Amino acid sequence: MSAARLVPPTPRSPLSWVCATGAAAMLLDATQVAAWVTIVALGLVGWRLAAAFGAVRLPGGIVRIALGLALVAAVFAQFHTLNGLAPGTAMLMLMVAIKLLETRSRRDQYVVIGGVLFLLLAACLGGQELMRVPLYAMEALLCCSALAVVAYAPDADTKAFPAPAGLRTRAVIVLAGRTLLYALPLSVLLFLFFPRLPGHFWAVQSGDDALTGLGDTLTPGSITQLTASYDIAFRVRFDGGPPAPDERYWRGPVMHVFDGSTWKAGGYSPGGTQRLDCLSPPYRYRIFLEPTSRHWWLALDTVMGSPSANVRYTGDYQLIAAQPVDRPLSYSAVSCADARSLAPLSPGARLADTRLAPGRNPRTFALASRLRARAGSDAAFVQAVLAFLHTGGFSYSLTPPPLGSQPVDALLFQTRTGFCGHYASAFVDMMRAAGVPARVVTGYLGGQVNPYDGTFIVRQSDAHAWAEVWLEGRGWTRVDPTAVVAPGRLYSGILDLLPGSVSAPERLVHAWPWLGAALERWEAVNGWWNDSVVGFNYSAQLDLLGALGFRSPELRDAGWAFAAALLAWLAWVSWQFGKEPGRPRPDRLGRAYQRLCRKLARIGLPRAPDQGPLAYAQTIVRLRPDLAPRVRPLLESYAELRFGPPVNRDLRAFERAVAHLSVRRRAPSLTRRALSSRET
Amino acid sequence: VRQRAAEWARRRQGPDRLPLTLGRRRLYILPTRAGIGFAVSVVTMLVAGLNYTNSVALLLAFVLAGFALVAMHQCHRNVLGLSLLGAAAAPVFAGSTGSLRLTLENASRLGRYRVEVAVAGEGAVALDLPADGHGQLDLPLRAGRRGLQRIDRLRLSSTHPFGLFRVWTWIHAPVTVVVYPRPAGSLPLPADSGARSGTTPRDTTGADEWLGLRPFRDGDSPRQVAWKAYAREAPLLVKEYSSAGSTLRMLSLEQTRQPDIESRLAQLARWIVDADARGDLYGLELPGERIAAHRGPDHRHRCLAALALHGSR
Repeated sequence: MSAARLVPPTPRSPLSWVCATGAAAMLLDATQVAAWVTIVALGLVGWRLAAAFGAVRLPGGIVRIALGLALVAAVFAQFHTLNGLAPGTAMLMLMVAIKLLETRSRRDQYVVIGGVLFLLLAACLGGQELMRVPLYAMEALLCCSALAVVAYAPDADTKAFPAPAGLRTRAVIVLAGRTLLYALPLSVLLFLFFPRLPGHFWAVQSGDDALTGLGDTLTPGSITQLTASYDIAFRVRFDGGPPAPDERYWRGPVMHVFDGSTWKAGGYSPGGTQRLDCLSPPYRYRIFLEPTSRHWWLALDTVMGSPSANVRYTGDYQLIAAQPVDRPLSYSAVSCADARSLAPLSPGARLADTRLAPGRNPRTFALASRLRARAGSDAAFVQAVLAFLHTGGFSYSLTPPPLGSQPVDALLFQTRTGFCGHYASAFVDMMRAAGVPARVVTGYLGGQVNPYDGTFIVRQSDAHAWAEVWLEGRGWTRVDPTAVVAPGRLYSGILDLLPGSVSAPERLVHAWPWLGAALERWEAVNGWWNDSVVGFNYSAQLDLLGALGFRSPELRDAGWAFAAALLAWLAWVSWQFGKEPGRPRPDRLGRAYQRLCRKLARIGLPRAPDQGPLAYAQTIVRLRPDLAPRVRPLLESYAELRFGPPVNRDLRAFERAVAHLSVRRRAPSLTRRALSSRET
Repeated sequence: VRQRAAEWARRRQGPDRLPLTLGRRRLYILPTRAGIGFAVSVVTMLVAGLNYTNSVALLLAFVLAGFALVAMHQCHRNVLGLSLLGAAAAPVFAGSTGSLRLTLENASRLGRYRVEVAVAGEGAVALDLPADGHGQLDLPLRAGRRGLQRIDRLRLSSTHPFGLFRVWTWIHAPVTVVVYPRPAGSLPLPADSGARSGTTPRDTTGADEWLGLRPFRDGDSPRQVAWKAYAREAPLLVKEYSSAGSTLRMLSLEQTRQPDIESRLAQLARWIVDADARGDLYGLELPGERIAAHRGPDHRHRCLAALALHGSR
């Protein structure tokens, strides 16, 4: 109690600003932490504000410490660690909120603003989407404005004179905004030329949570509702035109292991990469992949090699990166639509790709054996199975009924309804049942060209699964059983095929073309942002320096370019601010008076800075009585015009009189006497 | 270090004369503690952005770095071109707190905010100056020992607009304050010396006696102003009377009985203050100096100043 009385009350305005910046930063970070963290932090901010307005009392030191420990324990209980972006952000958010509770002095307020800047940093690390950038900019503006308000508020040991009225909100925001605008050119220059690192200082910890997109398992029987997301999976820029619709297969995880109901990726790696012969003109393109938190890099089927040293090119033509894709990235690749490997299938691979869980799906097994016996070759068997799927009354649906414990049997003989995963799975099961090596390939099928930037966009709703079978003499051959069941799937997205199965917003986009066009435009801008800004890394910087004419772009050149850019900006800002603040231009009367004073100063009678016109007139009368009749009335009429009642103001006459006045220096001897008399 | 820097600045700048316009060569600027903290935050953002190859974090770090640099220029400009027109301090008794009145001029189109001025070692006073305007502020001034107190150094500074930098200058202006001895001592006022000067014979009628006219000074009662003369376009004059029954006292060191000179001077100061408050005529005799009996604020100042400077000349 006594301590509270000793501390002077915190002025409200700076505190309100600090609370506002804190609350805004907490909202920005809300997507990264559990909801309770944001709610508790915002509650504490509200508590501090209520206390500032006298509604409640602030907690004492012991309560604060207990609160802090409890919240740390709660965060630890949730994450089991305090390391990493999400738990770190949660901790920081709560600590800022608790610090706010004990904020009284200016120093505390600066500390809170510093914490808020780190919250903003955490938000930037959490998401770089273009949509969030205006929010970040506003938060930065808010922080800078709060700095100005805190700096303006009187400190405890500084008396303000007169009492500060406080800066007006508008003035503060304009001040901070102008300063940030001046800083913008520098930040662009620094962004382009500040030397980037080819790697990391320390290993980056990645989250385990998958975002969207392809998984590493496929369990067709358990999915009863597949919601097609309109999110972009990746974008592609082709060197030539895009491939034909039936060649737009984008290869992702390849599934080898089947336990009767679930397909699994990995667990098997075919030894060594088999050389591919390309029988058609290759496609050259660049892929801009959205983050997936998974290790696969997508590529057009079949990619000819690895685009990066960190990415493994596997024997089943997948691209698997050492690091998960947790930020947008881009890479160039070459693919061949009609590629073939004539190397024989290794016995291990044959074994793995014909293995079935014994006893599962017995009816399918029997059917496959029967069909294989009737067909003369593996190729003929494939055709027979496709014919069975085509004519067996199968239909395509994104809301299939559940399939139970023998999912392939149930699909083929009972429900006869499913989507790509069902048919690919059933097809491969039948192939393996007959001893034909086969595997499920997941990825995407299709894509559209965005007319605004010419990129080819593949969405999550284009996700697809198909089959590959090993045919003697042809190698691995792609077979898409879904294309037999629903031929339309090849040429149109799921939206066109099954408009009823997609979520409302996507239907909306689809129903109104202008909305779709606006979305395409936005995606073009977004694509630019992701490629040029978010994706501006070490190699992009080297490309830029090379384009600017640095012959051997190295880190050193980046340093020089950076230094030059910094100097140029500093010169600009110094010129802008280093000028003496301009004097206000006097009004007409003032200018005429200045002219009069200049005339008199030229003959050795300068006006002292503290002299008014009448005192000046007295000085002149004393020093140069001969001038008095001419100069004194002028000075008096100036005083009259300036300070007298506003009647009969003949400004023109005064100006004319000043212009006509001509005064001369006195003879030297007299001047000396005048000066000496002035001394005494 | 602080002392050294101050010495160096004094040697470098030389003595100042008022009015003084703050030019670029005498302004110093360094980051404040908040500014250093800000810099550390920005460097952390930079490292995080580089490490995570996060372009938005890098952009944020660069924007904030540029912001701080622009803020530095703005801070510098907040005091560049300001003028200190005058600095004057009223005499003050030793041991009490007087004030130093400063007049600042801002002859520019920009408003100046939170310009803080401090006497070395004292608390600062902040002032806002509108565009093309003047401002006055009173600095508290703790008077030390009696005598002439020189104000060694004024420090004019500002952290406006964002508190990240502090721009400052030292002003070595020739400001001196007369510090009167602190009135002390309990001896009664010496009795009327009885020696009337010729100008003030006792008036038997008991009416106040006309002494003459003198120019108006701050603090004079309006009732004493010679309004009739003022109506005739004469300057403001004040009629001076010697009140009836007023006594005349000549004060001197010999009348005090304290052991040391400072206590004696303090006793004299006490008498002067008392006599002045009573409206008495009084004079002062010090070794080598004699002030004829008179009264009024000017006279009081003369006497107290003589005490203040006693022994220093």
